[in-house]
This record gives sequence, structure tokens and C-alpha cells, in this order.
Amino acid sequence: MVSSEQMTITVKFWSYFRDYAGCPEAAIEIDNGATLAKFHEIVCDQFPKLADAKNSTLKAVGLEYEDDGFVLSDGDEVSFFPPVQGG
Amino acid sequence: MKTELTITTDPIDEAALAKRRVMDNGMGAVVCFLGVVRGNEGNETIAAIEYEAFEPMARRQFEFLFDALGQRWPVEAVRVVHRIGTVPVNEPSLWVEVIAPHRAEAFDACQFLIDEMKQKVPIWKKPIPI
Repeated sequence: MVSSEQMTITVKFWSYFRDYAGCPEAAIEIDNGATLAKFHEIVCDQFPKLADAKNSTLKAVGLEYEDDGFVLSDGDEVSFFPPVQGG
Repeated sequence: MKTELTITTDPIDEAALAKRRVMDNGMGAVVCFLGVVRGNEGNETIAAIEYEAFEPMARRQFEFLFDALGQRWPVEAVRVVHRIGTVPVNEPSLWVEVIAPHRAEAFDACQFLIDEMKQKVPIWKKPIPI
């Protein structure tokens, strides 16, 4: 059970980040008020292969890019992915 | 500005797209761009590229790009088709059409859209070796 001081954030991995993580998504508990940067650190601790690509990781919350300072809310859906390559 | 975005696993049918073109008689330029899968990726010969999209976010990001484009150039219409899934070598993965009064803004807007797409729209490719 998640304590009242914690929230659950779903993280989705795209492209080869899915292979790095070994799964398409995960639900992660984190302290209330955590930023996207803090969440990224926790995810990299849990999925160490993602740490190698930390500096090139693009981050979105819902359908929009967000900065490291973005404050997450319970139930947010975060996506981490490598540089995009459409076209 | 009219916009149309298609993200599809179907092959891109240029003739059918051209047939559906609608333009006002004040428009003097249609720029069409076709991005085609090359037979090599780096030093490797490949058979195809597999494209993956985070589709809802890709749609949202294209909307932002269409808005930005409409604010910068007097474009009448933009249509984009991005194929996803497996796209064989020599087949198009991207089709873009920009309709504007004059060629300069049509070329510039088309270039802008593709450049920005390659930075912002969450689509990735994976080469499939022969």
C-alpha cells in the first residue's frame, strides 16, 4: 500500500529504452512533490542500463515534453525515450 | 490553415493523395516532399526500417508544429503522412505537402516542418538487416 506521503507514477519506455529496461512500463512509488529529475534518478537506479543514456533521455509527462523541474502528481504517466528519428 | 495528419501502417499512395488535393485559386505553390528508406544505415546494408510511434504524443506534437507553421507563413494547407511499422527499402516513409501562395514560403514551411519533426515528434526507427 502506498503511504499518504507517496504517489504512484507510471513510466513508459519507448524504442530501445524498452530493451534497456526489459519491460514496456512500470509503476513506481515516489515521494509526493518529487520532480521529473528526481523520478528519472530513481528509475535509473531501478533500471541501471537506462543510466548510460541518462543525458540523452527525452522526458514527457502525458503527451508533452517537460523539464527536469516539473513537479509530478499522483497518477502522472511519464515517458522516457531516446532522441526521436522520424522521417 | 487546413491540416491533415495520417499515421498509418499502409504504404503511402502518392497518386491517391495528389488526387485529393484541394487548393484555392489564390494559391500558386505546392511543395511535396517524399522521405524514402535508403538501402544502408551507416555501413550496414538493410532490407527495411521498422518505425515505431508513440502515436498520441506524435499527434499532439504535430499539432504544435502545425500551429507554429501557421503563425510564421501564409500557408493554406498542410498534409502529412508518416508510415509506421516495417517500410522496405525504396519505399516512402514520409510524405509532406504544403500549399501556399508562393514557392518561397511553401519551401520554407515544408523544411521547417520536417526539421522540427525530426527534433520533437516521438517516432523512432530500427534498421532491419538483410
